[in-house]
Amino acid sequence: MRLLSSALVTLLTLTTFSFASSSSVLVVLDPSLDRENYSIFFGGLEKRGYNLTFRAPKDTSPAITDYGVPNYDHVILFAPDTKSYAQDITPQSLVGLLSENTNLLIALSPKQTPLTSLAAEFSLILPPPETPLISHHPARSEPQTTIPVTVSSSSPILTSGIPPVWFTGAPHALGSTPMLVPILRAPAESFAADSTSDADSDALVTASEKGGEGLWAGSQMGLVTGFQTNVNSRVVFAGGVKMFSDEYATKELPSGGPPGNALFVTDVAAWVFQAKLKLRIDGVDHHRVGESEAPKMYTTNDEIVYTAHISAYDSETSTWKPYSGIDDLQLEFTMLDPHIRTSLLPVSGSPGTYQVQFRAPDRHGVFKFVLNWKRKGYSYLESSTTVPVVPPRHDQYPRFLSAAWPYYAGAISTSAGFFLFAALWLAGDVKGERKKGSKVE
Amino acid sequence: MAGPKSSSKPSPASSETYVAVSTLWKSYLDQTPDRLKFIDAFLAFTVLSGVLQFVYCVLVTNFPFNAFLAGFASSVGQFVLTASLRAQVNPENRSEFKEVSPERAFADFALGSIVLHFFVFNFLG
Repeated sequence: MRLLSSALVTLLTLTTFSFASSSSVLVVLDPSLDRENYSIFFGGLEKRGYNLTFRAPKDTSPAITDYGVPNYDHVILFAPDTKSYAQDITPQSLVGLLSENTNLLIALSPKQTPLTSLAAEFSLILPPPETPLISHHPARSEPQTTIPVTVSSSSPILTSGIPPVWFTGAPHALGSTPMLVPILRAPAESFAADSTSDADSDALVTASEKGGEGLWAGSQMGLVTGFQTNVNSRVVFAGGVKMFSDEYATKELPSGGPPGNALFVTDVAAWVFQAKLKLRIDGVDHHRVGESEAPKMYTTNDEIVYTAHISAYDSETSTWKPYSGIDDLQLEFTMLDPHIRTSLLPVSGSPGTYQVQFRAPDRHGVFKFVLNWKRKGYSYLESSTTVPVVPPRHDQYPRFLSAAWPYYAGAISTSAGFFLFAALWLAGDVKGERKKGSKVE
Repeated sequence: MAGPKSSSKPSPASSETYVAVSTLWKSYLDQTPDRLKFIDAFLAFTVLSGVLQFVYCVLVTNFPFNAFLAGFASSVGQFVLTASLRAQVNPENRSEFKEVSPERAFADFALGSIVLHFFVFNFLG
């Protein structure tokens, strides 16, 4: 009895623990950054149900992972100037976290730290150390490294209509990997320079006259950039930590009005913590037209119906809901190459269902239904189902084709002719014999 | 048949080829036994049938190729069997086929044809 009750209690604590850790966040916060200065950001996270645990970079506990199993769902690294960490935080361990589906929010700075070399592994190219972003526009009383950045509304990550956000920190150039998700771009008139005074502005002018070679400037640079891995874990690199601060969330813009920092960092956190744009394939099924079960194998030229069910995660109710919002989904029917590539459109009237009917190619072999939908910001959707396509069995071919009637007529008339010939031959036997004999004589 | 042919004979007599062909035709009509003429008519029919099927195959389609093979083989096979029959029942070849009576020849022909048509119709569909 006691054993049973203790087992029950253990089970209960285990379940409550897993529920609590279902949205647990470890915040590695540099002691120089006061937690109170980021109360709007952290308070907003706690209000949305995240369980925050704070830790300094050099603390050894709580550990990020125990025996290779991550202890937290998400990790925020707000230690942009820290050069040395406790043993469990290394670029390798952070990459390991990503492959275990833990998400990372990382703040960088103009200083050279282990995290800047980690960013390079994610195809972000950082300018030389101690070169913060500088902009002289628009005219304002703040220092030239404190810049209001206009937010582009084209990214699906951000809600539309966010006012400009204050930014201080380092920009980065974006490499060529398609897994990068640009969230915030640098203003066109901004540049990265190795001095906060205007003393070497001549060097900048010279560089721009050479076609901008070696110049870190313009709106192609990113300030906040996301990266989604192949296992759909997400990491965001922000060029500076101050954009998350209370000071920047309340500082009035030069044009007047409140800045968009609070809204912007909320959207970024929602994306990186998988609360937004998270999709999954619930299931796929395929069958012949007029049937409902998937056959063991298809025959060439069969009419095939393929259906996919896709859901999106709703963070407010923590449930998956059918999602019909994808209008560029494609289905491929491949054997080495896609023999058929067709658009897989949502079925009106049944949410989350995408269906297409197509004719199997006149080609037998081992085929795959392939769904491969990768869009910036959204979870990757991938599905592959292998089916054999066989030629028709010997009794499945069409017979008595109209094109063959001359051949049928030829064979039938020859047979009929043979019977007629035989009948006449036998009937005319006696008479013919006599005639033949008389002829010969 | 023979009447109009012979009446139209004298008008283009200038052509030697025509004379030769018409002489051949006339001697065929005069000297061939009726039995062999009957066989020849059947041979002509199988040749015509085979040629028509081959032309259709070349010009239109050979798509159900098995049907073409069956139809064409039926014509060719029947032609071969009938030609053999003709050789065996021809009185002029009696010295060649001493032990084969015309009745035996016809029985062989009939059996061969039935086997041929059995295969043809199996292969046709």
